[in-house]
Amino acid sequence: MGGSILTGIPYTWEEGLVIMGIMMVMLVIAIGLSVWKKIGIAREYTYALIRGGLQLFAAATLLYFLFEFEYWYYPIWLFLIAMALMGGYTSARRAGKMPKAYRITTPSILVGGTVVLVVLRVSGAMPYKPQFVIPLAGMVFGNAMTICSLALNRLTREFETNKPTLETMLSLGATPKEAMEEYGRMSIKAALIPNIDSLKTLGIIFIPGAMAGLLIAGTNPILAAEYQIIVYLMIIGGGIITSIMVIALSRRLLFTRAQQIAEWV
Amino acid sequence: MSILTIKKAKKLLGDARALRGLSLDLEKGEIISLVGPSGSGKTTLLRAMNRLIELDSGSIFFQGENITDMDPVDLRRKVVLVPQESVMLQGTVKENVQYGPKLAGAVGKCDVGRCLMDAGLSPKFAGKEAGKLSGGEKKRVALARALALHPEVLLLDEPTVGVDPRKVERMEGTILKFARDAGLTVVWVTHDVPQALRVSDRIANLKNGVVKEVKKAAEFRWEGAY
Repeated sequence: MGGSILTGIPYTWEEGLVIMGIMMVMLVIAIGLSVWKKIGIAREYTYALIRGGLQLFAAATLLYFLFEFEYWYYPIWLFLIAMALMGGYTSARRAGKMPKAYRITTPSILVGGTVVLVVLRVSGAMPYKPQFVIPLAGMVFGNAMTICSLALNRLTREFETNKPTLETMLSLGATPKEAMEEYGRMSIKAALIPNIDSLKTLGIIFIPGAMAGLLIAGTNPILAAEYQIIVYLMIIGGGIITSIMVIALSRRLLFTRAQQIAEWV
Repeated sequence: MSILTIKKAKKLLGDARALRGLSLDLEKGEIISLVGPSGSGKTTLLRAMNRLIELDSGSIFFQGENITDMDPVDLRRKVVLVPQESVMLQGTVKENVQYGPKLAGAVGKCDVGRCLMDAGLSPKFAGKEAGKLSGGEKKRVALARALALHPEVLLLDEPTVGVDPRKVERMEGTILKFARDAGLTVVWVTHDVPQALRVSDRIANLKNGVVKEVKKAAEFRWEGAY
């Protein structure tokens, strides 16, 4: 695991731990600022970072062994399903008071992510090797989860603030689909804005993850940029599928069978 | 002939028992007022008739058919609710009035000017931004929007609250004229008993989620204030 030659990173993993410790100062400063300014995110931020860090190390250990495993394609399915389930569960917590929101977040993330992975495989952009499948699946499912959370959070907020308008529409003979159409559109748009903004600033303000990784590993910059664009196309494609699905599926939870606004709203 | 029949309607809203076995029969073409103190179940009953809420028990029949067996959209186009809060949809007055007919695929048959006049507004209002109107004007647009659906039953929840007091009787006259001409059944919720006496054929007095009495307006004796 001494890996500086393999990864292109100019230090060993033991030295990396020390550097990481030094970088923790940044976290302490951020949390200090949050407490000072009473932003109220210090606890959640710390928890998220510790949880995220531990998860990443666990995943890295798993990947290390998986990459060496001859029959890697068997456990990888479990890995992908676990990604979607975890994403669905995390995203559901952004749905406010909506009960059983995981019933819409999990299938939305699963379908959005899987469709994109299939396209990547069929197009030849993703060789069937764990080194490609796992990181790309992570990016796809991760982005699908973010978009799912943003779309659902916006939609539930729109419902809570516009309940009288929605009821007016229903009382004038609108179906739930017709009543929520505009709010659904707004939620999808709001969820995709971060992706669109990232696209606009690609290569100017920041070098995105996949390209940065390839550059560090010594890939030709043109090839790295090309791959990054492929990654972005699939991420946006998956995001659009996920957001459309989440809006369509949420109708079941936002309205009753008798086409009334659900009591929890 | 009954157009709407409510049988032993019960509804719990949170911890409050809004309807406690309420029964009422509405005749076709009549104007009936529902009076009673706040919390007596008037608004809840209107919302149940429009099926914006479901009863916990009991039934409502429209033209003999249990409304739970009907398509809610069909029902809401026939039994139209004008809520107390006149929420304007985004766009112009014309777009608001056309909203229901457009969904029903009948926008071509919707005479916006006629609907506005029936609701007591000048057709010149059609091009105005609906959200910028005064409270009283919004009330009238909400009424015009309901009339555009050519309902069989009109459910009015405090239709003159917020209207300039000098214009209340004019608005009452406008609604009455339209309702009588169209043979419409009107359920008119009001706190204002003198208003109920002016506009109704019959008055139902609600208290604690049940109908205490139903009388012809001429026979209704009101004791005390709401």
